[in-house]
Amino acid sequence: MAKYLTQRIIYMVVTLFLIASFTFFLMKIIPGTPFSNADKLSETQLSIMIDKYGLDDPVPVQYANYMMNLLKGDLGVSFQFNNVGVTDIIIKSLGPSATLGALAILFGTFFGIILGVVAALKQNTWVDYTSTFIAVLGKSIPSFVFAGLLQYYVAVKLGWFPVAFWRGPEYMVLPTIALAMFPLATASRFVRTEMIEVMESDYITLAKAKGASWFEIAFKHALRNALIPVITVLGPLVVSLMTGSLVIEKIFGIPGIGEQFVKSIQVNDYPVIMGTTLLFAGLFVAVILIVDLLYGVIDPRIRLAGGKK
Amino acid sequence: MAQEKIAKEMFSPAQLDSKKSEEISKPSLNYWQDAWLRVKKNKGAIVSLVIIAILTIMALVGPHISGRTYQEQNLQHNNLPPRIPVLENVSWLPFDGNLTRKNGDVYNAYEQKNVEEYYWFGTDSLGRDLFTRLWKGTQVSLYIAFLAAAIDMVIGVIYGAISGFVGGRTDTLMQRIIEILSGIPNLVVVILMTILLDPGILSITLALTITGWITMARVIRAQVLKLKNQEYVLAARTLGLSNGKIISKHLIPNLAGVIIINTMFTIPSAIFFEAFLSFIGLGLQPPDASLGTLIDEGFKVLQLYPYQMIIPATVISLIMICFNMVADGLRDALDPKMRD
Amino acid sequence: MKKSKFFLLLSLMLAISTFLAACGGGGDNAGKDDKEKGADKTAAQEIKMLEAQAIPNMDSVKSTDTISFTTLNNVNEGLYRLDGNQEVVEGMAEGEPEVSEDGTVYTFKLRDAKWSNGEPVTAHDFVYAWQRAIDPETASEYGPYMMDGKIKGAAEITAAAAQKKEYDLNTLGVKALDDKTLEVTLERPVPYFKSLMAFPTFYPQNQKFVEEQGENFGVNSDSILYNGPFVLADWDGSTDSEWSYVKNTEYWDADTVKLEKVTWNVLKDSQAAANAFETGEVDITSKLSSDVVPQYEGDPRLVKWLEPTIFWLKMNQKNSDALKNVNIRKAIAQAINKEDFVNSVLNNGSIVANYAVPNEFVKNDETGEDFRTINGNELLPYNVDEAKKAWEAGLAELGTDSVELRYLTDDTETAKKSAEYVKNQLETNLPGMKINVESVPFSVRIDRQNKQDYDLQMAGWGPDYLDPMTFQALWLTGGGNNKMDYSNEKYDQLIEEAQTTLAQKPVERYEALAEAERILLEEDAAIAPLYQRSSNLLVNEKVENFTYHLVGPEYSFKWTSVK
Repeated sequence: MAKYLTQRIIYMVVTLFLIASFTFFLMKIIPGTPFSNADKLSETQLSIMIDKYGLDDPVPVQYANYMMNLLKGDLGVSFQFNNVGVTDIIIKSLGPSATLGALAILFGTFFGIILGVVAALKQNTWVDYTSTFIAVLGKSIPSFVFAGLLQYYVAVKLGWFPVAFWRGPEYMVLPTIALAMFPLATASRFVRTEMIEVMESDYITLAKAKGASWFEIAFKHALRNALIPVITVLGPLVVSLMTGSLVIEKIFGIPGIGEQFVKSIQVNDYPVIMGTTLLFAGLFVAVILIVDLLYGVIDPRIRLAGGKK
Repeated sequence: MAQEKIAKEMFSPAQLDSKKSEEISKPSLNYWQDAWLRVKKNKGAIVSLVIIAILTIMALVGPHISGRTYQEQNLQHNNLPPRIPVLENVSWLPFDGNLTRKNGDVYNAYEQKNVEEYYWFGTDSLGRDLFTRLWKGTQVSLYIAFLAAAIDMVIGVIYGAISGFVGGRTDTLMQRIIEILSGIPNLVVVILMTILLDPGILSITLALTITGWITMARVIRAQVLKLKNQEYVLAARTLGLSNGKIISKHLIPNLAGVIIINTMFTIPSAIFFEAFLSFIGLGLQPPDASLGTLIDEGFKVLQLYPYQMIIPATVISLIMICFNMVADGLRDALDPKMRD
Repeated sequence: MKKSKFFLLLSLMLAISTFLAACGGGGDNAGKDDKEKGADKTAAQEIKMLEAQAIPNMDSVKSTDTISFTTLNNVNEGLYRLDGNQEVVEGMAEGEPEVSEDGTVYTFKLRDAKWSNGEPVTAHDFVYAWQRAIDPETASEYGPYMMDGKIKGAAEITAAAAQKKEYDLNTLGVKALDDKTLEVTLERPVPYFKSLMAFPTFYPQNQKFVEEQGENFGVNSDSILYNGPFVLADWDGSTDSEWSYVKNTEYWDADTVKLEKVTWNVLKDSQAAANAFETGEVDITSKLSSDVVPQYEGDPRLVKWLEPTIFWLKMNQKNSDALKNVNIRKAIAQAINKEDFVNSVLNNGSIVANYAVPNEFVKNDETGEDFRTINGNELLPYNVDEAKKAWEAGLAELGTDSVELRYLTDDTETAKKSAEYVKNQLETNLPGMKINVESVPFSVRIDRQNKQDYDLQMAGWGPDYLDPMTFQALWLTGGGNNKMDYSNEKYDQLIEEAQTTLAQKPVERYEALAEAERILLEEDAAIAPLYQRSSNLLVNEKVENFTYHLVGPEYSFKWTSVK
């Protein structure tokens, strides 16, 4: 196991390095400068600015410089803001996004799993159809519509929760619900499908024969085996939710990283693009590793390559 | 019943023929015929199939019905609510051309603007016929839906199955490639394509192809990892079946459920990915439409002209629900363990 | 064992969700408390504002955006500031400046005013800030942009730096004669120079403080000195989405300032902003997008004003033979029904622009008449018949029956809607015309503009100072912002005269500028102006004297109060 882990971690570093390199070169192909008033600058002035920030060096030189700084742990300074380090931007804006994402995942999966299990046990009854309907709506209504409706009806009309901003627990409720629809739908559909299959297995029949209770069968025996695809799909979803949803952050005025990232791409803020990409990719790769390890925990029948003892 | 007399003549001795004892009286069905038989029994799935067929036909024919093109503008007729002849007299249907102001007043927008024509689904802010645009948009969205499903099925399933089944170094390498592909920010790639390609349906297709299949590949790999050590695969292997045969005959049918469910999720994601791309300029170029862009535009004026969002949202939900019902039916039918 | 772990996980999730649900419930009450507190404060002199973005840059010589400018305008002060009528009023300068006979040397007397650390504001602070703004090492975007060609020596410094030669910041035409006297030497007379002094790039900075802070200068509310009506508080830096202004008791004119506090929050979505306004969470929204405005039509809380920003189609003569032809350009400019566009599509108070210098923007100093009264609003108006005639003539001259053009535009909602409309109008009214819309992100559009890689481009221009020149310098031959190969000797000559010989004769100068505008549009149809934009926002009725500006900073709270 230790050998397997070491190997995977080495792979992770290589993967991250490759992602960083690809992103760097792709980003540099995009035309334009990071200067917000490029339409007003004269050519002489533009040339001074470009020179000052080393943007006229050949791209491989810029790449080497960036990588050297990266090794020292220096992610650089943002172009759009005055003297703000990329690390600073990431740390400050990741907080709200990660909190919101974690909440959404937690709620979404929890209720999604319940919905899925119930639907599977009551297959082809109205319970099942209702669950399908909720899941389908959760997927087919875009999040901006859902968020907008929640804001208008629950916050403005009913006044149950604040309209927007990020100041405390009561401000988290609506965005969490809006964001949780997606993992909820996903989890419930996958769990239902898998549960139906698992419930046909011999060991479930055996458990039934032994007189195990309904609850025990569903949650102790069946669900565990139904979780493999759920975890596979939800793993990366955790990353994408925790790293921020542009739409939800925009509508609820949450100072998160999703909005920050999209904007930095639109304005060519190179250091921020790179820093955020590294963070996202790092999280992603780590989550995939965790998911792979979880396979073994959840289903002992799965042996990972190199994991055999 | 018991009092009814049963005449002896009604009985005759059975002819025992040893040659026929092994005969299969039902026609022999292969896997797919069998599956189809079971889909047919599922009423929900059949109704959904019919609805999808109707929507597909409307997507092709619909843009030509009202006699107005999807880009024809008439600013004098902008933001008109739906009005349909005959149905406009049915008071509980929202097809009477009435609009509600924010303060609750109801007025007839057609009378106010002196419009004689009927716009079945109303018009947008540029005075374009939403009926035509809706079906034009459905066309694009269905294209994207089928495309996404195809990419998932072809690239995702094969990639995942190979990766999981072969295992070892191949698996490691293939998984790292997936990680790199998902690690590079989508938006950077997408903006890059606006520059290298003309924005439009081609670049949407490409953008989808690059990363659309990754979730599927990962799900399939996970399932294959689980399945490949199970007894029946072992049995097949012992019996000398080739790897390709094991994948196609034993693994894929057992994966059907997961494949279908995942495809059903790819479809809406793809449809909204397209809307997102349009939003940032890579997707459809104006004045083209898709259900995603129609909902996006409609949502902005939801409080004033709710119909502009509700109609495309209804169509997209209908498509999704039908796809899901068909998918459930298919899943039950394709899964070899589910035979009754 | 493992099964029990799984159970543990489940129960943990259950526990967390109950806990969070409890939080949600508790939070509800907390929200109500907040609202009650808010209700108490309505009597207090405090208002709550929304902004669509965080503050990017509080270093006045490096700021480039309206949000930073607005903040600077309220917490700092230059020689002058603008009031609600867009008139120049006193700031750090006391009284009118002394101006030399030829209009190139200005001498300002400074009043006794203090920085927030107790040090006096001196003429040296201005010299330091201005030199810092032009210094190529600072890499300020607005410094050279605002100073080149106006303040003596500025252009030379930039040019020297671009050629990597030596330069001396002391050659910049700004000197401190003593602590309270500032002398500025100009390249040539600049009639609007006083109003320029209200622009944040020209604000003073305390050398000792800036150098002490070094890299940290301007990164949060503690690393800035204030000399304005308010001081910035609780601002954590550019990533912060909440901040506030608190009344500056040390401000020289503190008696005029009534508000005790202005709090700000970032909310990007327009509909969300309107929602927050409805629930009373904010008193004034950020500028609303045109989708939201019609909801509030006729509502007294909707405040509208005409911005001096014009949107036009730039017609690039570099690549397209068709656009080199003046008839084709005239046809394009006259074939778009702008009336319908502003009324039905934008529907937010924007007006038709048949001109290249905005309406309600500048007045003649001598006569007090709006610049627009000279040429009116009928240069190159919508006229399908004229357009068709010009189109036929143009096609005949080109010897073709069809023209295909690329239409470059931003990827925003309004830009796309405009593109759909313009495409439809041109293709309908000019038979044989084919428009291919290309909507791209802003930075890509600017890059393509700089490379002149476009045929038609939808672009807007907002002014940086109160003079028609900010618009008209755009179209000079080889001008830095021309980028469409437009060139007309007569036009260049009129602009040159306005900047030199006529600089001190307001009436003749405006006439020359107006004539140039007429040439640009009526004779050459160099651009096709479409509309002048209007700003819309929701203002709570309890707010009095809400003050907005047309150039640079957007709002001033110096005179604002709560009923």
